[in-house]
Amino acid sequence: MFSFVRRRMYTSALPLIIVLLGVFLLARLTGDPTNLYLPESATPDQRAEFAAANGFNDPLITQLIDYFKGIVHLDFGTSLRTGESAADMALRAFPATLQLAITTMLLAIVGAVVIGCWAAYRPNSLADRFSSLLSMTAASIPDFWFAITGVWLFAVLLGWLPTSGTDGGMLSWILPIATLMIRPLGVLTQVVRGAMVSALSAPYVRLARSKGAGDVRVVTHHALRNAAAPALTVAGDLAVGLINGAVVVEAIFGWPGIGKLMIDAILQRDFAVLQAAVLLTAVSIFLLNIFIDACYALLDARVREPARV
Amino acid sequence: MSHLPPPMFRVLAMALSAVCATATGCTVANSGHGGYDPDTLRIVLSQEPPTLEPCESSLTSTGIVTRSNITEPLAERDSTTGELLPLLATRWEQTSPTEWTFTLRDGVTFSNGAPFSSKDAAFSIDRAVNSDLNCNVDGYVFGDEVLKLRTPDARTVVVGTAEPDPILPLRISFVEMVPVTTSTTEKVREPIGTGPYAIEKWDYGQKLTLARNPTYWGPAPAFAKAEYKWRSEGSVRAAMLTNDEVDIAVGLGPEDGAGALGVPFQNNETTALRITGTEAPLNDMRVRQAINYSVNRTGIVKALFRGLGEPAAQLIPDGVVGYNPDLQLWPHDPDKARQLVDEARADGVPVDRQIRLIGRNSQFPGVTETVEVIQSELADAGLNVKIEMMDTAAQLQYQLQPFPANAGPFIALIQHGNQAGDAAFSVDQYMRTDGAQSAFGTTDFDKQIEAAGKLTGEERQKAYAQIFADEPHKVLQFAYIAHMRGILGKSARVDYTPNPATGDEMLLAAMTPASSDRTDQS
Repeated sequence: MFSFVRRRMYTSALPLIIVLLGVFLLARLTGDPTNLYLPESATPDQRAEFAAANGFNDPLITQLIDYFKGIVHLDFGTSLRTGESAADMALRAFPATLQLAITTMLLAIVGAVVIGCWAAYRPNSLADRFSSLLSMTAASIPDFWFAITGVWLFAVLLGWLPTSGTDGGMLSWILPIATLMIRPLGVLTQVVRGAMVSALSAPYVRLARSKGAGDVRVVTHHALRNAAAPALTVAGDLAVGLINGAVVVEAIFGWPGIGKLMIDAILQRDFAVLQAAVLLTAVSIFLLNIFIDACYALLDARVREPARV
Repeated sequence: MSHLPPPMFRVLAMALSAVCATATGCTVANSGHGGYDPDTLRIVLSQEPPTLEPCESSLTSTGIVTRSNITEPLAERDSTTGELLPLLATRWEQTSPTEWTFTLRDGVTFSNGAPFSSKDAAFSIDRAVNSDLNCNVDGYVFGDEVLKLRTPDARTVVVGTAEPDPILPLRISFVEMVPVTTSTTEKVREPIGTGPYAIEKWDYGQKLTLARNPTYWGPAPAFAKAEYKWRSEGSVRAAMLTNDEVDIAVGLGPEDGAGALGVPFQNNETTALRITGTEAPLNDMRVRQAINYSVNRTGIVKALFRGLGEPAAQLIPDGVVGYNPDLQLWPHDPDKARQLVDEARADGVPVDRQIRLIGRNSQFPGVTETVEVIQSELADAGLNVKIEMMDTAAQLQYQLQPFPANAGPFIALIQHGNQAGDAAFSVDQYMRTDGAQSAFGTTDFDKQIEAAGKLTGEERQKAYAQIFADEPHKVLQFAYIAHMRGILGKSARVDYTPNPATGDEMLLAAMTPASSDRTDQS
């Protein structure tokens, strides 16, 4: 298993460097942030002074070398907007996103397994059609619309939940998680259902039934284990999307996470914060992928062992 | 046979354990929902202040919290009358053509207990204007001017300028006072000031709490604390207000749903089309006139702004020195616009050349629809107009000189707010040939602007009013749209009347519990 993880780490290093390089270059293509940080009436001299002080006049290659030197020394620069360390800002925001993403993903997996198994066990039944409709609808609803409607319905109209923020204890988690979960739940339910339909019609399941295994045992011990691999692969991709794509939820619900930090950094051309946030996110996605691969290997021995001729 | 559960269930079991652990150990959730402290004012802003540095307080997101709440200036402008009122200075006078002398108030201390003296005042002005900190207030109010400062005694500070400056006290009113112990090499995020409130705690990313300053020199403010949160979505800010989670919600639009809790107010902002009259076909006066005849200001205000605004005939609203009350709206006359474009075409002006109409996303409620309507109106007049909506950073390239090379003919939708209350702050920027936000001008008109800037009192008012009357005939760089109005969300629990400065500096001390306030519900 260790050598498997080591192999995955080597193969992921290059994409990580490409991501960092891409973000560095793309951020600078969006223009000089001087105009954003100085008043509109600032003189040309003041603008030139600001640009020089922050290295925006340096050749791109010089800025790039400085950036990678900084990474080596764990110095990610200072936020233009707040004057804080960019690394501190990213590290402070990241746990909030991680908590939200992990909780959402785990609830989505549990929900998808239950609904998907239920639908697959009685294919083409009313229950199956209902679950398909539910999951297709869930996968199609825009998260922005769902979030605003949720605030209006559950906070304003019914008064059951706080509108936003993190002050409301557990209640404040419900709307952000529901918003974030709805798409992965819909997609995963379809994947689990499809995989379970195939698994339940496989010869080994018929053999298990012929040997007297009960319905629950057939589903949980035989079919689900084999259906888990494709579901896990899709869940991994969706989890990456959650870490990267919680921007809308964080913006609407005032969740102090890294998605909101990144979008603010982009809009404010706060390069240091953007780069620190992307690096942290990329590393965590890289670790998540290793974790998913490890789970995959745990489920399927063929993945662990190199192919033998 | 093994009795261990299959791997999938082990993974799920770990997952559920993690859910429980996450849910019980949420570091971002910290208090119970419901209830509030009646002695705390709860405010939701549209964004977290990037800093509370006083010399950055001309930034709206900073000034709305810092100005006159945490720190105070020597003098304060009455946003309704335009009058400059004493604050930390009790009086000021021009003691020589290039010097103004300020007499400071007795008995003022900073929130850390240190007394406020002329050394602090001179230090604060020097730090904000003359230092290398690149303070926003420096660029906004003083440009590249260097001030000379003297402190003859503990209660007197003398401010000198290179050239006579009749509105120096107004400029100085933008400088917030800080103690001499404040860093001169770095900006400070959490300043010490003399204001009615001091920072109690700032949970970055979540909320900011101010508490009453026990050493405040003036009457104690009504609320013991003020708690700021921030949400970027206007509809969520409005929902927080209607759901009784906050008492004040800023920056609402008519569509956000605050209902009766939304209080409209004039916010000093004016929207306009700024025409780059150096490029054909916009360099033809008839085309610029046609643009003005095309824009249906009254219709835009009524239909798109839902009545929240006044159709505009000049760059500044009533209440700012230099406002001309006699100017009439440019008439909406599509036929006349078409005729002017046809005349220009007949004379060889390339009216078919594509004109870029550049707008800024989310600049004000309904900005996208406004740009679309204007594009349609200009197309009806016979012009070839293409919409380009940009984010702030990209749009600023077309708002501020120098514009990008080969930008071609473009019209920028601008929104200008005159915080200072004097037309000089608008005209110098937008109408001089070399103004940072001006697309073009004429030498004669520049001289007229320069002459107006040297005047005081009634003569100054008349000179600037004349500038606004003359600009459409001598230059015609703008098609004004509307003097805007904002909406402040306010719960029935609080008594407060928003004023034109509310969007830039929201005085907590002006907010009091309403007589019909409910009792503590916590």
